[in-house]
This record gives sequence, structure tokens and C-alpha cells, in this order.
Amino acid sequence: MVAISAAAVSAEVQYLIVIALPSTTWRMLAQPRAGEQLPKGLDAAWDRAAGITNRFVPRRQRFLRRAQRIVDLEKQFAQINDAQLRQKASEFRDLFRCGRQSPSDLEQAFALLREVAWRQLGERPYPVQVAGALALEAGCSAEMATGEGKTLAATMPATIAGWRGRGCHIITVNDYLAQRDAEWMGRIYRFCGLSVAHIQQEMAPAERRLAYQADITYCTNKEVTADFLRDRLALGRLRGLSSALMAKIADGSGRGTDRLVQRGLHYAIVDEADSVLIDEAVTPLIISGDAPNPEQVETFRQAVELAKELQSGRDYHPNHRYREIELTPAGKQRLADLTQPLGGLWKGVRRREELIVQALTAGAFYLLDKQYVVDDGKVVIVDEFTGRLMPDRTWRDGLHQAIEAKETLQVKPPKDTYARLSFQRFFRMYRRLSGMTGTAAEAWREFWQIYHLPVVVIPTNRPCIREYLPDVVFTSESAKWSAVVAEIIRLHQTHRPVLVGTRSVRASENLSQLLRAEGLDHQVLNAVRHAEEAQIVAGAGKADKITVATNMAGRGTDIKLGRGVAELGGLHVLATERHEAGRIDRQLFGRSARQGDPGSAQAMVSLEDELPRRHATHLSAALARRAQHDRRISSALTRRVFDLAQRRAERLALRQRKAVLRTDDWLDEYLGFAGRER
Amino acid sequence: MPVDRPTFSESWYRVAALRPQLRSTVQIHRQYFRGQMWHVLQDPASNQFFRLNEAAHRFVAMLDGRKTVAQVWQICNDQLGDSAPTQGEAIQLLGQLYTSNLLQAELPPDAEGLFNRYRKRVKREVQGYLMNLLFVRIPLFDPDHFLDRWVGIFGRIFTWYGFVLWLGLVLTGLYFLVGSAGDLLAQTRGVLDPSNIPYLYLGFILAKVCHEFGHSFACKKFGKVSGSGGEVHVMGIMFLVFMPMPYMDASSAWAFRSKWKRIAVSTAGMFVELAIAAVAAIVWARTDPGARLNTIAYNVMFIASVSTLLFNANPLLRFDGYYILSDLLEIANLAPRSRQYLYYLAKRYAWAVRNPHNPANTAGERFWLPIYGIASTLYRVFICSAILLFVAGKFFILGAILALTAVVTWVFVPLGKFVHYLTTSGELIRTRPRAVLSTLIVLAAVFTAIGLIPVADRSRVEGVVEPVELRIIYMKEDGFVTGFMPSEQKVTNQGPPLVTAQSRELETQLKQLQAEGERLKARQRLAQTEEIAEAQVLAYQIAALKKQVEQVEQQIENLKLLAPFDGTWIAPDIEQTKGAYLHRGEKVGLVASLDKLFIRATAGQQVADRLMSKANKSVQIRVKGRPDMQLQGTIKKIPEAGMRRLPSAALGYAVGGSMATSPDDQSGTKAAEQFFEIHITPDENSAVSLITGQRVIVRFETPAKPLMAQWWRSLQQLFQRRFNI
Repeated sequence: MVAISAAAVSAEVQYLIVIALPSTTWRMLAQPRAGEQLPKGLDAAWDRAAGITNRFVPRRQRFLRRAQRIVDLEKQFAQINDAQLRQKASEFRDLFRCGRQSPSDLEQAFALLREVAWRQLGERPYPVQVAGALALEAGCSAEMATGEGKTLAATMPATIAGWRGRGCHIITVNDYLAQRDAEWMGRIYRFCGLSVAHIQQEMAPAERRLAYQADITYCTNKEVTADFLRDRLALGRLRGLSSALMAKIADGSGRGTDRLVQRGLHYAIVDEADSVLIDEAVTPLIISGDAPNPEQVETFRQAVELAKELQSGRDYHPNHRYREIELTPAGKQRLADLTQPLGGLWKGVRRREELIVQALTAGAFYLLDKQYVVDDGKVVIVDEFTGRLMPDRTWRDGLHQAIEAKETLQVKPPKDTYARLSFQRFFRMYRRLSGMTGTAAEAWREFWQIYHLPVVVIPTNRPCIREYLPDVVFTSESAKWSAVVAEIIRLHQTHRPVLVGTRSVRASENLSQLLRAEGLDHQVLNAVRHAEEAQIVAGAGKADKITVATNMAGRGTDIKLGRGVAELGGLHVLATERHEAGRIDRQLFGRSARQGDPGSAQAMVSLEDELPRRHATHLSAALARRAQHDRRISSALTRRVFDLAQRRAERLALRQRKAVLRTDDWLDEYLGFAGRER
Repeated sequence: MPVDRPTFSESWYRVAALRPQLRSTVQIHRQYFRGQMWHVLQDPASNQFFRLNEAAHRFVAMLDGRKTVAQVWQICNDQLGDSAPTQGEAIQLLGQLYTSNLLQAELPPDAEGLFNRYRKRVKREVQGYLMNLLFVRIPLFDPDHFLDRWVGIFGRIFTWYGFVLWLGLVLTGLYFLVGSAGDLLAQTRGVLDPSNIPYLYLGFILAKVCHEFGHSFACKKFGKVSGSGGEVHVMGIMFLVFMPMPYMDASSAWAFRSKWKRIAVSTAGMFVELAIAAVAAIVWARTDPGARLNTIAYNVMFIASVSTLLFNANPLLRFDGYYILSDLLEIANLAPRSRQYLYYLAKRYAWAVRNPHNPANTAGERFWLPIYGIASTLYRVFICSAILLFVAGKFFILGAILALTAVVTWVFVPLGKFVHYLTTSGELIRTRPRAVLSTLIVLAAVFTAIGLIPVADRSRVEGVVEPVELRIIYMKEDGFVTGFMPSEQKVTNQGPPLVTAQSRELETQLKQLQAEGERLKARQRLAQTEEIAEAQVLAYQIAALKKQVEQVEQQIENLKLLAPFDGTWIAPDIEQTKGAYLHRGEKVGLVASLDKLFIRATAGQQVADRLMSKANKSVQIRVKGRPDMQLQGTIKKIPEAGMRRLPSAALGYAVGGSMATSPDDQSGTKAAEQFFEIHITPDENSAVSLITGQRVIVRFETPAKPLMAQWWRSLQQLFQRRFNI
């Protein structure tokens, strides 16, 4: 599919592309191949201190004041006609291209863009949106509540970046949004003399190349990273500008430079920055090829068979906390006996124990509908953090194959990795980066330490009147679920719509059963039924509706309140578990009381939930002992346990992500002879 | 994954298709350590070494620039089975070889990476210097060419006939030494005399230069014999606690296959020094004492033997002895690995870490590593504190700075790293509570031991033994000495007289007065009959004269000097006074109660307060220079007023006492600071008898206090004294 914007490129822009081509290639090659290494020791302490100090800079007030000044310029541009406005935009473009703009020029340009948005889309950005745009322009991570018009706000810094002429990537969550936004906002850009394009998964390299040449490119994080990696593969052993130029001089060819699709990583605005830059940060994107290996496939099947022969307790101990299998000496001996006639890979002691441990792990800790679902004969990973389906992901080191063998699906042999890059490292390579999301404040530490992005919380246009009810704590899960059902019934009797968030697909199915038993009509929304998700979520605000959803189902879709619901008190969000990150809780709660509507939110949790069990093990066990039997034990103390566990989990996660980055740095340093990371 | 060594690594793709090979200059030497075969890779350009075990070597040796890493790994797996390196290990190995500049790939070298590594290394070196001001090495020039030219001659030292010659020389030296052993001991005391220091240092440098050349020539020689290695490219100056001394880098000897050759190179320095010591001994024995050559020879002998054996042969420091020991035990990298092994033990047994990396390869290593680790750690702590205290004593500000850097580098940095490790390490992820708890328990135990449990708080002061009663005997009248009691005799106040003298003058005077008396008496008798009034006058005159006579008689009596109390008569010079005319007031000797002694100890202000208020009255007394003699005593009196004048010059700093004396005072008895005097009487029944004038050390005990409080007080006092706060 050809990008719409690419077809409508003006003559002027076409000219630019032709001229820009070689130089952008060289510029891309000249770009540093890896982000800066994370500081260590005292440097790291200093950097952290800088991050803390940074929080006291009153950015929010500054941006809001400046936004007010921009809004005050409205009159200037309201009176001139379209042609004059275009002319004005062209002047700004020259100014920004040369880098000669003054701070007041920026304000003027923003004011102009507001006017353009009004004339092209019929929406004039609110002062808070302008403030958000300023935050993005300043290279911050802007927290703007969903429904506050992030998409529109992003057009302003994107246009400025487009004028600068080095390209601007706007990273969206999925292809659909990339296309929608590119089309919707394209009118503003084109009015300002800029080309806009978007990347879709199925695009051919030539189309991609054209799309990346556009001034503004809407794409998903996956596509942009994959294209970057493919470019690196195409470059092969050319390390950078110097070696590429040498190759060009030596044999005249570009040695792959003509196959590049991107033109360097200059500026990116990341939508849903917390999910892209934090939650998915360490997930590596892998470009791989098939490596058919029938022998190995057979081995995985055998492993599953052999695993059935072993007995828990006697031959191995499962460790539920760390999700590990430990073979006992007896088990090892038994395995040796069992594999005696098999030969092949089973001869090596280490290898065979590895295989069997994998098969046992797959059997004991990876459960259908919790960690994965089977969709269309394939194992699809469910993100445990968010409940989202991750069709492109696979588990590593043969675990995926072990699970496939367990489910008696077709075992696909592990693929050969050609190139691999985590999003974390990829986004650190951008010269300028800014992000916007509904929930950033909790993650300020990570945004600073890893991306050097200060977090700015932009207020909502209309004051938020969401009512947070204190958490209700139970000792056991069963007590919690019956209380959840009772609460749903109570709310349902008032005709208020209820949105119940669950953490896993399994939990949502369980709750659905309980509700059915009570004869309550409800909708279940989990990542498995992703097709109609957005519509269901959109309808969740109508009176008498009960919606059960995994947390991330239909994220980014607005829930509009039905008629009369506001008077009843708006949408009530009921969380059935707290998450490893406070942000995710807030994302769920943030589905109610949008844009000044009324609404309320509450979490019902139990000591048997995963969060307290994993991150406050001893405390929650002690509390459970004290409570003795199933009951409600809400108190400041018990709630505090959950906060504590959450903080611990957040800290642990940050540390792990940093460790991944450090390991990558180490590899880069030690594998210098292998060329830079591909 | 609970698998110890996962076969696959997700980073494998980065190296799998490469065709790296070792650099052509890299030399591989096969060596045996404790029966295991190892391969030592040497980069002659940088003189870096890298030790590989059999499996790793197999892997590396197969990398020939034609096969890919993946192919080689596959072959290794087929051949070696489970002992083949895993993908992760292979990556690590390749990375380490690459960063040691031992590996080249078909790609052009990553220039940026090279420069980065270089910058990092320089930075690390500079940091190393700053962190370790006490051991700075400055390379100066490359002696290799020089050594090559002369090894033909000097290398002969390290042959069998060289050894025989050496043995002969050392034996001759010993012979002379034994011959004049008496002088040897007599001169020992003067070694650290200030006037001797320049010669001492000269001798030191001389000996050390020869020492270093010994290493280098040995290294060259054995390198030539075995046909490889033996290059010495660095010579320079090392500042060991600010004292410059030469050093050479003979580490290329590590490549020798035979451990005896490696040991020979390590011992060569001491070998040469002992030969020098022998020559010096001969020279010293054959020259006149007091001659300059004699002094120099003596110092050289002292340094080349004693210092070498104490210093270089000590395996607990990183000098020759360490390398000898590590080769003898066949444990490479003994010191770091012994430390790692201690960590390993803690991880495994105290913290219950699963599968910690065990640095010991064989049973023998498991025995030696902990022993060496503990011994060297304790010794390091000891030697470092000793050096710090020494430097702090000499130059306070510098010492304080050094102490500060030392505290930072040896205490805070490791502590910080340790805390960081304890709180964040992935290794501890499941046993963290246990690790933290066990560490806290140990810390708490140490803290209780030094911070809470009171330990006897003792302090020592010096004193002199004095008799309780002592009277100097002066002449009471002028006179010629006619008789005297010989010195060192017991005397009583009943007599016999100590000194008897004669005074003709007095005798004449007496006679005159007596004659005058007779005359007056005669006149009186006359006057009684003739004139009563005159008789009256004469009676008065006679009475007056009588008094005069008595006086003179007394004066004559005074010429016999009697002891004022029972004691010992001490007059060493009395023999010379025989027949001499002594004036009144002249000193002839003294009488002292030598069997009733007491001790006058002096305490500076630092201790005085504690002594006065809290000290136990019973004290321990030891005689200086006689540590075997020990007796008890009791504090009798502490005069409250501070004093400036020492009771004896023997207590002054100038003659080896502990009290600082003021430099402008010639007599050496004026203390630089006020002090307090303490009188102590030794207990009666003690077996040891003290002698007047002996210097003693008195140990007081004040109420027990935790060690930490005691140290803190000492530190405070140190600072207070230096800065007069």
C-alpha cells in the first residue's frame, strides 16, 4: 500500500527528496552507532542527583505561561488569509531550516500552527495542549491524560522538526494509529509545506524508503527499529561514514548504501512513551531467518515425553517463586538411564539436563491462558504485565519450542538471529527524543536515568474530578472475588457502568463465570478477542454496562459516558489486582472521569495476589497469619504493604533494565572485533 | 535458568559468522600447574599474559582465520563434549582476548574502540597512581639492548660454576662475619643513627640496582637458554613510601615453561644481593673500624642481607618472595585468586549463593588459597597501618592526607562496592535476606567486640628509679682529708665517719683560745684578791672564750663527716681527695638509701588526668631493655602541679626517653610540655631488685573501656596535639 501522503507530495518536496538522498545517507552513516554508555560509580550518583535537582525546575509553570503567550497571539493570525498563512509558514520553514530562530519565533510558529489546526481540522489546541507541545519541543516526557489531544499536540513540535529538515519520527502504538494519525494530521503538515507518511507492516522497502524520506513519518516502534536493523544488515561490514566513503572510492559502489531505507535517527516523538520506553524497553527486536533442523525438533518432542517420566519431588523440585526447576541427583540418574538408548543430543550431560529442565519448566510454570494462548495453531505470548497479546514475541533458548511440543503443536525450530536490538538501546540513539503518555510521573527516575528525559505533568483542560476510593484488602483471593462480585452487584443496582480490570486472561474468564452464576449480563474483553475490543470499550460507558477487561485491552480508546450516566456518578473502575508498576494502575483508573466527567476508581486486592506474594513475601505472610481466616483486613497498614511491594517491584524492574543496558554496553566493548551491534 | 552453564547465548549471532584468529605475534607457552596443562598466551608487544585451560585453548587454537567461530564451536562440542566452552563462555573468552589485543578479526580494527580502551587504561593508571601514592612506578627507559650486550658476561653468574663461585663467596663472607661477631653486634646499634642514614641509603640504592640487574640478567639468560622470551623492556624508578628505588620489569619470565627457571629469575635478585653482602662483609672485616669504607661496607652488608631477607623474601608482600611461592605452589595469580576464594567461601557457606564461581581448580589449591588469603590480608592491614603511622609521625599533614586516601581506597571504596553488591547484585537475588543478615551479624559481632565490650585500658609511662632518701655530703669545714670511707660501703649515722679531715688552722685557733683562757683564768685569780670589779669582767670574758672554744671544737668535730642516715656511701672520686685540701661546701659524695627505692615517673598531660582520677593504684613495672624483669608497684603520690624540669635527663627524648624535651635546653631535662610526676614504690616482696638510675616502664591500668572508645580518644589526642585545638 502506498502511503497517501507520498502520493500527494508537492513538486517542491519531491525536489528536496532527490537532493536530500545522498547527503542523508552519509549523515546517517556519520551518526554514532550506539547511545552513550550508562554512567558508572560516582558519575552515576552525580547523574541521579542531577535528575533529582531537575525535578525542581518549574517547567510546568514555564510551559503554561509560554502557552498562554502563544494563545494570546491568536488574533494576529486569525485575520490573515490562507495564502498569507502559507507564506508565513514558508518563512518560518527557512528560518528553522537555517537554525536562526529566536524564542519568540518559536512562539509565533506555534501560534501559526494553532491557526492552521483550526482551519484544517476545526480544532484549536487548548493552552494545555500547547504547553504539552512545548514540553515535547523542549525534549521532555510530557504527561497528558488520555483524551486531552496528544495527537494534535504532537503536530506542533513535529512540524518544527519537519521544518528543520532532518526528519521526524512519530512513534505510535500500532499500525492503525499510525495510518489514522498520518491521514488526520497530514492536512496540517501539508499546509505548512511538509510531506507526511506512515509505515505499515506489509510495505515494501521502496515504499518504506519513500516514507522515511518524508518530513514527518508516523510509524510503530517495531517497524522503525526493524528498519533500522535491516539497514544495518544491508550495510554489512561498513562501520560508519569513513569506511563507507572508502568503499565508495575503492569500488565506486555504495556497498549497500543504496539499499538503506532510513535516513538517520534525528528526532522522535514517542506516543505512549511509558509503554514503549519502559515496559517494552528490554524486549529485543530480532531479525531472524529460518534454520530448519528436523533433528532438533524431534529432540524437543522427546524432551516433553521424557519430562512426563520424571516425578516432581523425587526427580526434580519446582521453585515457584523463581519459576525454576531443580533436578535432584536421583532425577539426573533417571534421566541418564532414560536417555541411554536415544543418543544424539542426549549424549551430553549438560545438554540433556538443559533440555529436560526446559521441558519441565514449560510444563510447570507456563500455563495456557495465563502466560500464553494458542491462537491459530501458534503459541502466542501474553504479556503478564499488561495482559496484552504479543504475537511477534517468542521465548528464548528453546523454551518456546518446549511449549509448542507440550501443546502438541507444530514445533518450529529456533531461528537464526541476524540482528537484535532492544528498544531501550534503539531510542537512546536518537539525537533528540521526547515522549508523551498518560502516565509518566511515577517513572521520572527511569525516564531521566536512561533517556535523560525530564518529566513534565501537563494539567488537564478541565479539572479532573475522579474520586479515588481507598484500596480494599482481603486475606485470600476467594474472599476478594466474592467481594468483587458483591461490589459489582451493588453498583449495578444503581445503574452505573462498571469497568473491572483483571490482570490475566484467566482471571477475566474466572470473573466472567462468577458473574454469569449471578445472572449478570456483562462483556468480557481480553486480549484473545482483540478484533472487536475498541468498540466494546468505547461502549463501556453506557448505563447498566458491566465490562470485564484485561488492563490493556483497547488502550488508547476513549470511553464516552452514556446519556444520564454523569448524573449517576460516571464510570466506576474496579481494579482486581495492583500491578508491578503504579503507572499501570493509574492507566486503568484513568479510564474513568475523563475530560472533566465524574467518575470513581477503587482497587480490591488480596494478600494472595502476585504483587505482595512476590515482592513483600514475608510481610504479607505475616499479615495473613495475623488475620487467621479469610476476611477483609483493610487498614492503613495493609494498604501500605501493597505500596511497599509496588515500590520494590518498580525499583527492581528499573535495576533489571539498567543491567540489561550495561550488559549490552559490556558486549559492545568486548566484541569490538565483531563490529557494532547489528 | 537453573542450569549452571547454559549452552546457548543470545549474543552468539554477533560472533558466530566471524573468522577471527590470534595475532601473529602472540606466543603460546605450555605450562603445567598442579598437574593440569595450561597455555599461557603472551603478547610480546605489551608483555601481557593470558592463561587458558585446555578446553579454551583448544577453542582458541582452532581459530585460524578460515573457520568461523560457529564451526569451531561445533567442532569443540563434538570433540570435548560437556567440557567444551558454552556459547557464553566462548563470547567472554573472545572478548577478553580482544580487549587484551591478542585477537584480530577480518574486520579492520575498530579504531574508536581502540582509542576508547587506551583512554580507559590511561585513566585507570592515573587513578591507580592517585589512589596508591605509596607505591608509584615511573618507567624510564628500555634496558633490553644493554642487557643483550652484557648477558654473555653477567649471564655466567647463573650457571653451575657461577653458583659454585657464589657459594664460595657467601661462605667466605660468613667466615669473616663469624670471626668478628663481637664487633658486628657492637655496630648494630649505630645502624639507624641519623649520621649513618646517607650511607645507609647509598648502600641501599647500590644493592637494589644490582638486585634488579640480577633479575634482568637471569631473565635474559634463561630466555636465551630456552630459546624464547626473556625480554626486559622497562626500567624505572619506584617510589616506595616516597623512597626512590630502581625497578625492572622481568615479567616475561612468566612464559618459561619450567617453574624452576621462573623461580630462579625471581630469586636472582636476592642471590646477587647476598653476594654483595658477602663482599661487603669481607671488606668490613678487613678495614679499620671508624674508616669511611668500613662504615659503607657495614651498611651495604646490613642492607643486602637483612633487608633483602625481611623484605624481598616475604611472600606476603608482592615482591620476589610472592612470585617464588606462587611458582613453588604452582598457583598462578595467587593473591587475587586467594581473595576470590575467600569471597567464594563467604558466598557459598554464609550467603548460600547457588553455584558461585569457584576459583580453585584442584584440591591443593583449596588448601593453599584460604591460608594465603587470610595471612596476606592480615599482613597487609598490619603493614599498611604501620606505614601510615610512620608517615603520619614524620609529616603530619602529608600523613593525614595519605591516611585519608588510604581510608577512602581501602575502607570506603570497598565498603561502598560491597554494599552495592549486597543490595543490587543479581547473584544474590534469592539469598539477599540471608546475605544481608549474615553480614550484619558479623558486623554486629565485630562492633560489639570493639565497641561495647570493655577491654583493659592501659597506658605506659616512663620513669627512673631513685632512692627514697638521698643526701649529698658536703665538706662542713675547710681541711686536709686525712681519712675516708671507701665508696659503696654501707654506713650508719653512728659512724664510722665518712671522711675525716684535719685543719691546722682550727687546731691552732683552739690552742690559742685555750692559752688565752689560761691567761684569763690566771688574771682572774689575781683580780679576785685585788679588785673585785675586774674579776667580774674577767669572769664574763672567760665565759665568752669558753663559748668560742666550744665552737671551734665543734668545727674540728665537723671535720669528721658522719652519714646523716643509714644507707650506702657513694663517692666514686673519693680516692683522689686523699690529702687534698677541701673547702667548706665542697661535695665529697653522697649517701643514699639504696635498699629503699621509689620510682619517679613522668606522664604527659594526655595520660595524667586519667592517672590522677581513675587509675588503679597498683601498677606493673618493667625495666627498660630487660623485658623479662617485671614487678608490681603502688602509686604513692601524684603532685598536682605540672612541671617542666624532668627528674632525669634519661627520660628526655634526646637520649631515647619518651618525653619530648625543648630543643633550646642544653641539659636535656627541660620538657617541651608540662608534665606530671608520679611517685611509685615497688612492692616489697618482688623478686627483682631495681637499681638506682634504671629506666623503667610503668604500666597503669585505668577502668576498662571498649577498644573503639580508646582508639577514638587516641585519635582525638593526636589531632589535638598537632593542631592545638
